[in-house]
Amino acid sequence: MLRHKLLFGVLGACAILLLGILAGVAILLSGAFSTAATEQHSAFTHWLLDTGLRYSVNANSGEIVAPALTGAAMIDRGRSCFRAHCVHCHGAPALSREPHGLGMMPIPNDLTESARDWPPAWLYYVTAKGVRMTGMPAWEFRLSDADLWATVAFLKQLPALSRVEYVGLAPLPPQTYCRSDDVATARRTEAYDEDKRGEIVLRQYACHACHQIEGVVGPDTNVGPALVDWRTRRYIAGTLPNTPENLARWIVDPPGVSPGTLMPDLDVSEAHAREMADFLFAQD
Amino acid sequence: MTKRTAGLPCLVAAAIVLGACARSDRERPVVAGGNAERGRAAVIALECGACHRIPGIPKARGTVGPPLGDYRKRVYVAGRNPNVPDHLVGWIRDAPSLDPGTAMPDLDVSEAEARDIAAYLYR
Repeated sequence: MLRHKLLFGVLGACAILLLGILAGVAILLSGAFSTAATEQHSAFTHWLLDTGLRYSVNANSGEIVAPALTGAAMIDRGRSCFRAHCVHCHGAPALSREPHGLGMMPIPNDLTESARDWPPAWLYYVTAKGVRMTGMPAWEFRLSDADLWATVAFLKQLPALSRVEYVGLAPLPPQTYCRSDDVATARRTEAYDEDKRGEIVLRQYACHACHQIEGVVGPDTNVGPALVDWRTRRYIAGTLPNTPENLARWIVDPPGVSPGTLMPDLDVSEAHAREMADFLFAQD
Repeated sequence: MTKRTAGLPCLVAAAIVLGACARSDRERPVVAGGNAERGRAAVIALECGACHRIPGIPKARGTVGPPLGDYRKRVYVAGRNPNVPDHLVGWIRDAPSLDPGTAMPDLDVSEAEARDIAAYLYR
């Protein structure tokens, strides 16, 4: 008798699970789930994402040790990074964000509050790693570690600034920081497992926006050729013999190798290009 | 199956039928004067498969040039011009004139033949 009850219970659970999956498929294919950014998340979804973010950041930033976040030079450096990369989406005291920062879903938060309430390690972690399923990119492949910490140092000052103070800050010297060709950014992948580095770097330069790449999940794109079975290919861009050295050379400077190509110079460092090449040559 | 439980599977079936409408593949470009059947014969005669992988052509498993399957979906011809019939025909006729550094040779094919080949690649 008990055995029967258990059996029916399990069968019932399976049936409910199956119905749930079917309902999900039905909703997906009927188009009833809107992907428009004009639709808001339900309060529950928003709570889920926000809570997940806090717990994830807390759990993953435990070993990050913040340096001293003081000194006018550091804060100015952080301000130049903030103006170059953050203010467009997040805004600043009494300063509106740009149009793309206004219409995003979910909305980029105003940084004054999180800068005041979050520990520096959390701010560093979110800035460095970005946030999945939002528009926040990982800046660790764009900014040096010093620039990331300088940005955090400036963020920590942000909540204390009035409108007059923010607008009245001395003009910045010509942009000398926050450039991706800063030598300090050359290698940011060392913290990742060796077999994951190529995939991460390929994604960080948006290679998968134009190429279908074996081992990288991305859109079903046909802009550039598919990078599948790469080792068997004899030429790169129809021009260079396909060796890892040549592939890295092509990735660093496509127009220099083949004038007229629509593949852009993506400002890829030599080291990152080598990691991409190694990844493509290691495909099964 | 009772009436009560039939609703959801019906909805799923309807959704799958509707979902099939959400495909967004590019329509086949029309090559004026091009004949895909003649093009297929030309692709075999010219041995394009020595350098390119071409689904539907026997032994076309070359790795010198890029694979040419699903060519109509590709956005660019040779990474430099929009993938429309005239650019593809021009590339097939005389690739080095469009990219001096390319490993693709001038095949010395007529305009009509190039149009047939383009029509086949877009099939």
